[in-house]
Amino acid sequence: MAAAQMDPDAVAKAFVEHYYSTFDNNRVGLGGLYQEASMLTFEGQKIQGVQSIVAKLTSLPFQQCKHNISTVDCQPSGPASGMLVFVSGNLQLAGEEHALKFSQMFHLMPTPQGSFYVFNDIFRLNYA
Amino acid sequence: MAETNKGRSEEEVARAFVNHYYHLFDNDRSSLSTLYNPTSLLTFEGQKIYGVEDISNKLKQLPFDQCRHLISTVDSQPSSMAGGCGGILVFVSGSIQLHGEDRPLRFSQTFHLVPLLQGSFFVQNEMFRLNYG
Repeated sequence: MAAAQMDPDAVAKAFVEHYYSTFDNNRVGLGGLYQEASMLTFEGQKIQGVQSIVAKLTSLPFQQCKHNISTVDCQPSGPASGMLVFVSGNLQLAGEEHALKFSQMFHLMPTPQGSFYVFNDIFRLNYA
Repeated sequence: MAETNKGRSEEEVARAFVNHYYHLFDNDRSSLSTLYNPTSLLTFEGQKIYGVEDISNKLKQLPFDQCRHLISTVDSQPSSMAGGCGGILVFVSGSIQLHGEDRPLRFSQTFHLVPLLQGSFFVQNEMFRLNYG
């Protein structure tokens, strides 16, 4: 996508839809969204680099899941043309009665090809 | 973990900031203005607010006088690679107890702290959302 020409809110929304659709339908495909310098903090556990991040996400203790997004907020992060995206929603695991509520923050950085990759990713479940 | 000018880790900076921010919020809300500058951005429950003046006014005008934040989790990461701007992303979850209300409200909040020459930080980006049950 030609990110520079699109409205930032539209870019953030498109990214979020792509990210969670990939997560829910082709989890290993998330590798295309991270790079070597990327960082993930998942429920307090710090993971660095696309390989380790994909290993973590593909080894989560559930096969099927569906993310339902409630809110998406975004802001430009500074002179390097990064974008902060703040998401809240719930995560329905196959076979579980109740969905888990979560919040997640992404810091997207532009690629030379005109799209974005995830440089920072922080995920937290929101317990009642 | 990124080292700041003062030799503190990014985790230590994040923790110190969180303690300071919520202490000010709960005890001296008008002093929050010291944490922002004219380029700061706040998104508060979806409403976008630009610059220290409008952000301070928004926070001062929130429809409650007394409140207390209880922080559950603080996560942080450097927002750029080594040699970059030295910014720090801080992700907080917790609850806010409003005076006179029966139950606290759960919330999540994101901060992007950017260093000043003197070694302190200001809030360049901030986003706040209540987490409804």
